[in-house]
Amino acid sequence: MDKKLAVYICTGCGIGDALDIDALSKVATKEYKVPVCKSHPFLCGAEGVELIKQDMEGEGVNTIVIAACSMRVNYDVFSFPNAIMERVNLREQCVWCHPANDEDTQMLAEDSLRMGIVKAQQSSLPEPFQAENLSKTVLVVGGGLAGLTAAAEATRAGYKTVLVEKNPSLGGWVTRLYKQVGSKPPYSELEDVGISQLIKEVEGNSNITVYKGAQIEKISGAPGMFDVQIKQNGNLATERVGSIVLATGAVAYDATKLSHLGFGQYPNVITGEMFEEMAARGEFKRPSDGKEVKSVAFILCAGSRDKEHLPYCSAICCTESLKQALYVKEKDPEATVYIFYKDMRAAGNYEFLYQRVQKEGALFFRGEVAGIEEDGGNLVVEFDDVLVGDRIRTEPVDLVVLATGMVPTTAIGERLIVQADEQGKESEPPADEIIKSNILNLEYRQGPEVPTLKYGFADSHFICFPYETRRTGIYAAGSVRAPMDIPSTIKDATGAALKAIQCIELTAQGSAVHPRVWDLSYPEFFMQRCTQCKRCTVECPFGAINEDEKANPLPNPTRCRRCGTCMGACPERIISFKNYSVPMIGGMVKAIEVPEEDEEKPRILVFACENDAYPALDMAGINRLTISPWVRIIPVRCLGSMNLIWIADALSKGIDGILLLGCKHGDDYQCHFVKGSELASYRLSKISETLNRLALESDRVRMEQVSIMDYDRIPQIIEDFASRLEEVGPNPYKGF
Amino acid sequence: MIKVNPHFAKKLQKFGAKTVSQCFSCGTCTAVCSLASDDQQFPRRFMRYVQLGLEDKIKHSVEPWLCYYCGDCQKNCPRKADPGELMMALRRYLTSVYDWTGLSRKLYTSMAWKVFSVGLLFFATLAVVYSFSGEMVTERVELETFAPAHIVHPVGYVFGAVLAFLLLSNVYRMYRLVMGPHAAGIPLSVYIQELGTLILHFATQARMRLCKNKSRWLRHFLIMSGYFVAFMLVNIDVVTRWSLTNEPPMWWHPGKLLWSYASIAMLYATTEAIIGRLSKKEPIHQYSHSTDWMFLILLWFTVFTGLLMRIFMELGMPVPTYHTFALHLAFTVPLLGLEVPFTKWSHLAYRPFALYFVRLKERALEMQQTRGEASQAEVSG
Repeated sequence: MDKKLAVYICTGCGIGDALDIDALSKVATKEYKVPVCKSHPFLCGAEGVELIKQDMEGEGVNTIVIAACSMRVNYDVFSFPNAIMERVNLREQCVWCHPANDEDTQMLAEDSLRMGIVKAQQSSLPEPFQAENLSKTVLVVGGGLAGLTAAAEATRAGYKTVLVEKNPSLGGWVTRLYKQVGSKPPYSELEDVGISQLIKEVEGNSNITVYKGAQIEKISGAPGMFDVQIKQNGNLATERVGSIVLATGAVAYDATKLSHLGFGQYPNVITGEMFEEMAARGEFKRPSDGKEVKSVAFILCAGSRDKEHLPYCSAICCTESLKQALYVKEKDPEATVYIFYKDMRAAGNYEFLYQRVQKEGALFFRGEVAGIEEDGGNLVVEFDDVLVGDRIRTEPVDLVVLATGMVPTTAIGERLIVQADEQGKESEPPADEIIKSNILNLEYRQGPEVPTLKYGFADSHFICFPYETRRTGIYAAGSVRAPMDIPSTIKDATGAALKAIQCIELTAQGSAVHPRVWDLSYPEFFMQRCTQCKRCTVECPFGAINEDEKANPLPNPTRCRRCGTCMGACPERIISFKNYSVPMIGGMVKAIEVPEEDEEKPRILVFACENDAYPALDMAGINRLTISPWVRIIPVRCLGSMNLIWIADALSKGIDGILLLGCKHGDDYQCHFVKGSELASYRLSKISETLNRLALESDRVRMEQVSIMDYDRIPQIIEDFASRLEEVGPNPYKGF
Repeated sequence: MIKVNPHFAKKLQKFGAKTVSQCFSCGTCTAVCSLASDDQQFPRRFMRYVQLGLEDKIKHSVEPWLCYYCGDCQKNCPRKADPGELMMALRRYLTSVYDWTGLSRKLYTSMAWKVFSVGLLFFATLAVVYSFSGEMVTERVELETFAPAHIVHPVGYVFGAVLAFLLLSNVYRMYRLVMGPHAAGIPLSVYIQELGTLILHFATQARMRLCKNKSRWLRHFLIMSGYFVAFMLVNIDVVTRWSLTNEPPMWWHPGKLLWSYASIAMLYATTEAIIGRLSKKEPIHQYSHSTDWMFLILLWFTVFTGLLMRIFMELGMPVPTYHTFALHLAFTVPLLGLEVPFTKWSHLAYRPFALYFVRLKERALEMQQTRGEASQAEVSG
């Protein structure tokens, strides 16, 4: 494609008042010989947009640089199909956070325009990846409430579904409940479990293929073209599916580990699950001697929120125990019910249930169980009650019911820590934890299951993107993702089914899935120069890249989220996108004009993550905070895409310091690509030797974690870095 | 170690605490209470005591008497657990605990006992009056001829002495329970020095003025002052003989004026209380125990018949005067005989004594501290 470049400068929103537009235009026309350069007082208005359209038609303009507002706004207005588009942020990050008609502000605007023009010159139009034999079927793994709901919802939306259930019958955990908590006003009455209707709907639906008593032997491929082998009764069936809903749920925590609460020691200490069975039989009898139960003690958080056992809250034990207390009180209002809890977590409409149980006369105790004793089948609970600040002792009770927490099915199995190879383990970035839970059996280079977050849950990004796992096209729903109750599970399964459908459709279009849904670019590998170092296959947060026997990377573009982490990882710089590559950003760095040392105008290059840091910088501008005039901001898809060569480029150019603004990483990470910012900080830890080689101070490069809410901190972060650079002194490479 | 008693809450239901189980110990009630302090925290603590059935702790507590039931806790309770009503029920319960005869508990928990006791005293009084009364002079009002003072007054004193004995013996039991080990070692002088507290609160119920709603104190004061005036007049009457006499003095006689004040004050306040309990507008009137009605009805009729009798007397209507007087006594005897030592009116003693005991306890603790400091000083010296 022959490029014809045009630059449009908007003078609205205060830009024209603060900058010398003629001088700015000269950067385009004189320095870069851009054939078309126009300014307009209201570029995002109908007239402004028409101006661009006319140039496209009349002059054959196909590469557009819009120097106006942030790329985060008006993207719908400045949307021109089949044109390369680059936005230069003159508003939020220039005139709104720097003094008007100032020499330094003008220099900033000119540098921004230079970078934009260079990027546009080097970009080309992405061509969507078109895979073949794409399937639009959804695979649902697990036939409990979440799986059944996901399958039903997907078919209601018009998609075929394959459902695989390990057990010989559908329904899972919920079918074992005697009653469920009321889901409609007054919310304090118990209801029959309504799952049989759902099972009937799923089993009778010709668009749902149900495999019962079956397990997944192997899943290979990628979104749009997963090949699934299902083993059922010794036979192997194969299905091609487009995306996967992981809904294998959770199991109860192993009560035999709760000997301190008497389980396994005293026959009359049972679990909530066992109590449900008792209730379903319609009689409460002591396991030890069959005597009718007249008093029950429910111990909540049995092994939950306990460092020795499950450190987390399982969300449903409080309300399940309240429900079970009602079983007792409805059968015998005179029965004594003790409920021992740490915190009563009966939020929302469950409050009505809690109130009802209180009204029925159950006794509630807040604190910690101190011990359980037995005497001839009778049990006595000792408890440290924080509400009276004393240890209390119950009358002898007939039965103690332990409310055990949930263990996700993804947490059960051998732990596998993913490593590149045997050498150089210490130099590895923190690894994903994959547990061989024998659920999906993925043929992925990085391990057979989805990586787990904390406590073995299959979640990925709990703040922004529920359902997303770290494997594209695989969406977790229900208690396998986080402990949840029946209504939340239904919502969750519906959400995950829709995510699975989105994945199928976007893959067919050749687009990335969330969070870069509009993105049609994908990474391309210049294999002739590959050294088989495995950095890309190891560091991809989504396991998108497999390997052959010779360790050559085998990319799977439909698994890719387009974050560019592989591009940042590659020491040979052979990975690039049509509109985002190492030389492209390198060219932008080189386009910055660095004043001589005696001018005393240092330059700070900011690589800002597009997801949080860049909007935070915009917000700083929107709030008219003043930012140091020395900064030059380059947005990056993710800090994970930052290639160390850019830092070398910048320093050899004479730029005094480089600031990396990325998302929070660690346990409660906020990185939209899970590990990008973490990998960037890991790479940065390696850079000091490079800097030393260049006879430069490692303080010249700094990384800060910011969230979108930190916009008010941004000026100070930059100021602090600038003053540190002042101490270090100017870059000795200036002028070379 | 505390032993939980899940059955205590049920027992307390008969005393009027029916919603305690709904409390989830948020503490809003204690936070909004104008009377709770760091040393005396209520009502939340007592909600919890009742839920756990800590009967022993409750028996030794003085706090229920420090609550004057303004209803702020009730209005603010997020659970409608009625903490104010619980404090009221605890006062009823404690009254039954202090009472050694066991009659109090029967009156609070059994309708049959209530009806029987009131009925018995009512009809017994009538029987006594009519069998010992003198001639009914019909030409003019001769009340003393009908009810000879030389019989009425001694009988009254014997009755009063019995009531005083019952009430004071209950107060002593309260003293033992509330003071516990603190009772030992307080010198007599302290008991005397602190008498001021007792008298002040007995006469004025000043503590009630700390509640946000001041009008309640006024209404309460009307009943109390009316009762106090009536009580004094009855006693003075033994000497002056202007009341139980065949020759009533003129209208301006100070005794007469005071009687009128007492009657009207009590009649106004009881009538208002009855209307309040029927309309249930204020938290304090939301729940009415049967003993509350018993008290109000007896008091209202006592005052009403007393006033009516005086009117008949002024109008020179002898026969109605005599019969109304008999009725007046028939209401007075169960009112005083049951309410003062056994149920609601025992408050008049327990409340000021509770504050007195609190002061005594504080003094005992102060003395302990100074003793401790002194002995420490000795050791270090």
